[in-house]
Amino acid sequence: MMWGMGAFVLRRLVFGLVVMFVALSGSFLFFAAKFEPLHSTPLLHSYWVWLRGIPNGRSFETGLLNTHLMSFIGGAFGRTMLLLALTLVFVVAISIPVACISAATRGSALDYLLRIGTYVAWAVPGIIVAVLLQEGFGRTPGGWGTGWFPSVGWAGECPNGQGIDPHNFQCPAAGHGLTHVGQVIYHLTLPALALALVFIGVHSRFLRNSLIEALDAPYITVARAKGLTERAVLLRHALRNAFVAFVPALVSDLGLLLGGALAVDYIFQLGGLGTVLIALLELDIDGIPQVDVYALQLALLLGAAVILTASILSEVVLALLDPRTRAD
Amino acid sequence: MVEAAESASALPEPRRYASTRVWRRLVRQPVTLVAGFILTAIFVAGALVPQYTPPVAHIHLSQRWLNHPPMLSGWHLLGTDAIGRDMLIRVLYGLHTSEQSALVATFFAAVIGIVVGGIAGYRGGRHDAAMMRITDLVGVFPALMLLLAIYTWWQPVTAWRATVIFALYLWVPMARVVRAEISSLREREFVQAALSLGASDRRIFFRHLLPNASGTIIIAATSLLGLVFVLEATVEFFGIGVPSDLYPTLGNLIGDGQRFAFQLGQGWWAWAGPAALLMLILVCVNLLGDGLVEALRPPRSRR
Repeated sequence: MMWGMGAFVLRRLVFGLVVMFVALSGSFLFFAAKFEPLHSTPLLHSYWVWLRGIPNGRSFETGLLNTHLMSFIGGAFGRTMLLLALTLVFVVAISIPVACISAATRGSALDYLLRIGTYVAWAVPGIIVAVLLQEGFGRTPGGWGTGWFPSVGWAGECPNGQGIDPHNFQCPAAGHGLTHVGQVIYHLTLPALALALVFIGVHSRFLRNSLIEALDAPYITVARAKGLTERAVLLRHALRNAFVAFVPALVSDLGLLLGGALAVDYIFQLGGLGTVLIALLELDIDGIPQVDVYALQLALLLGAAVILTASILSEVVLALLDPRTRAD
Repeated sequence: MVEAAESASALPEPRRYASTRVWRRLVRQPVTLVAGFILTAIFVAGALVPQYTPPVAHIHLSQRWLNHPPMLSGWHLLGTDAIGRDMLIRVLYGLHTSEQSALVATFFAAVIGIVVGGIAGYRGGRHDAAMMRITDLVGVFPALMLLLAIYTWWQPVTAWRATVIFALYLWVPMARVVRAEISSLREREFVQAALSLGASDRRIFFRHLLPNASGTIIIAATSLLGLVFVLEATVEFFGIGVPSDLYPTLGNLIGDGQRFAFQLGQGWWAWAGPAALLMLILVCVNLLGDGLVEALRPPRSRR
């Protein structure tokens, strides 16, 4: 069985890499035709230069401004990944209890309240949620919010001087060791929450429906007849079976989550992929708008890699959770 | 329970047109009707904006009121921004632009999606494989990343260019839905019957398959409309798209409001107005979509 799984993953991986390569070639030709990465060279030749630079990594190293692309974009990518990780934690930690309470008290006022709340969370676009949270709980100058969280910037950074301590005119330090970890999480809380809310809306509704479906199944009647408490029935039997649909759906949403992370990252100026991407696209050299095609290609490559990984991972998780989907 | 009682009372069911049935179901869902009504009102108001408000080129600059919260005097109902422009008029023009590009883009995306998905689903084989490869290619990159890059590629982005970009990008989900629906309908008996009567491909497609797929298409188009609104607002939010001075859209108004809240100390009212309108539109679109799913669901066969 594990062999079948390995072969399946390998097949998906090879196919995905081929599609990715074709798409990246297409995007290179598309953007290079307009923003010539190499001056006065034919398009196909610059494509060949880019292609030649892939195996030895030269195409991912230097960009238009002779910057080291990997340290420039790679670091930003790491920040975005951290944001995604914390977001996933929030989604799981909030949507599962919400769905369980909603399903257990089906038809009650509490259930209606939760359903309306998750509906609104689902329908409101992420950018508005992010701006609302930033104004409501962040420390914005002259804002009306509570000011519990820093409104912009990564731990130890004050982009454009925002968030500087008015007493000593210094940016609060990021600390070392565990303090640093705490600071990073503290600065990521609002962005991750903003990003998570839409997905909490989606997934708690989804999980509630599959829980209710599971609660009507015969094996639940058996479990109740055995004399299990309602709590044990819900948590140990219904939830476990509802997970089969929930977890793969969650994992396969990573690609969408990445798109949202770009916007949230830009709003909270975290210096992640969104900020870097906009900086790349707004590049201006001597007043001429210019785009670093090599850097753009690297950013697109990283985004595509996340989507590919998520889609393969979700199928693997589904196969692990649900024995019926294993063909062999 | 209501449904069960009604299906019992309607046992000797007379032949009814599908549209009548859908309408009766819709009437029974007040939420959907209200959402549809609000949405129509918003869209009509947005379409008529240039007829009744001062032209966008000389939007009121009020010298006395810079960055003023909402007030009744002077009818600055949504306040004024940092250089004294009335936010209500800006938001109405934003609605006009956003609505225009969302509706037109949804229409063209739906048409392209129906044609491509229909051909792939009906013909199958090579056509199907070709379409699936193309949709694979489009899905490789995160939507927002690709859209931002394309926006940069096509500077300066106007409202029409944004419409074209969204139409050319978003036919893919529509084509997938139509393909799945058509390829499952194709195997049904009524298509076999039409085939054996000697109907041409064209007749089968337009007279038999398309009407039967119309419910699915309407639902997909509604969700597409919501998707265009969200995606466009998000892309415009970054401020590299349509210039907000010439073409305010809901997205770039929210983006400006948020940016200038930090840079110019502009108040919350600058982004709250467009954000509230966008939220209202999206909640209504989603409610309408859910109601349509209920109403257009094929009648349950009696078991």
